[in-house]
Amino acid sequence: MTEKTATISLVTCTSCGKPIPPAAESTKFLCPNCGEIQIRRCGKCRKFGRPYKCPKCGFIGP
Amino acid sequence: MSDEEIKEPAEEEKKTEDETEIIPAEEELLLPRDTLLSAGIHIGTRMKTGDMQQFIYRVRPDGLFVLDVKKTDDRIRVAAKFLARFEPAKIAAAATRLYAQEPAKKFCEITGATSVIGRFIPGLLSNPLYPNRIEPEVLIVSDPRADFQAVKEASSVGIPVIALCSTDNEFFGVDLVIPTNNKGRRALAVIYWLLARQILRERGELPPDKDPPSAIDDFEAKIAREEGET
Repeated sequence: MTEKTATISLVTCTSCGKPIPPAAESTKFLCPNCGEIQIRRCGKCRKFGRPYKCPKCGFIGP
Repeated sequence: MSDEEIKEPAEEEKKTEDETEIIPAEEELLLPRDTLLSAGIHIGTRMKTGDMQQFIYRVRPDGLFVLDVKKTDDRIRVAAKFLARFEPAKIAAAATRLYAQEPAKKFCEITGATSVIGRFIPGLLSNPLYPNRIEPEVLIVSDPRADFQAVKEASSVGIPVIALCSTDNEFFGVDLVIPTNNKGRRALAVIYWLLARQILRERGELPPDKDPPSAIDDFEAKIAREEGET
């Protein structure tokens, strides 16, 4: 009997680095400055206004 | 004597050359600095939040916090770049404040965005049973405190929020801040006009040296007394 395992790769929050569960409140948008990197923010980081940084252009928001 | 007379104009030319070298630094702003300052876009409030600390330039002797015009200018450029990536109809602009309603309406007319003027009806973004529900992909708010309901619903549906923030605002639910005076009539008109112009330029609908057909005055909210006079 072989056990089949499946892995789910969760997206992480750009601000805090924690994984965002699929059903959780979050947002995603392209970096406002360069438009190449997708920024993802979890509900908590949006609520507390935690900063995010684009890994490509270095833009710091909000 | 004649040599001196000849030298003087040369010196003057040098001076003007130096001055012209300085002017491009001033021209980096979207509008001349004097226009921005006379509109009062840099004037904040007597309150300061930790979130807005990074955009504050100084404190005036009367206690008003002053915003950095260069940072406002930079953020308008970034916000325009960001908004130009969305379909015009998928942009919504909410304005509950009286002085922000006319600028937001005009902004939507020019850019093709959807305007939500006046009271924000709860469920407008988040209630699927509401018949007049709109489904934008990005939301612009004139004041995150006054437009709290809009920000809250945008958070729940997961769309990014761009907010015009003064020194007394917090970043609750906001994804991109444009630091500016969000209470002044003229300041709001200038900011919305600049944002509209920059979006059209980013989309390629307007040449980089041209202005939109509507002037800043058209964006300004008319007060009742002025309407009575005209």
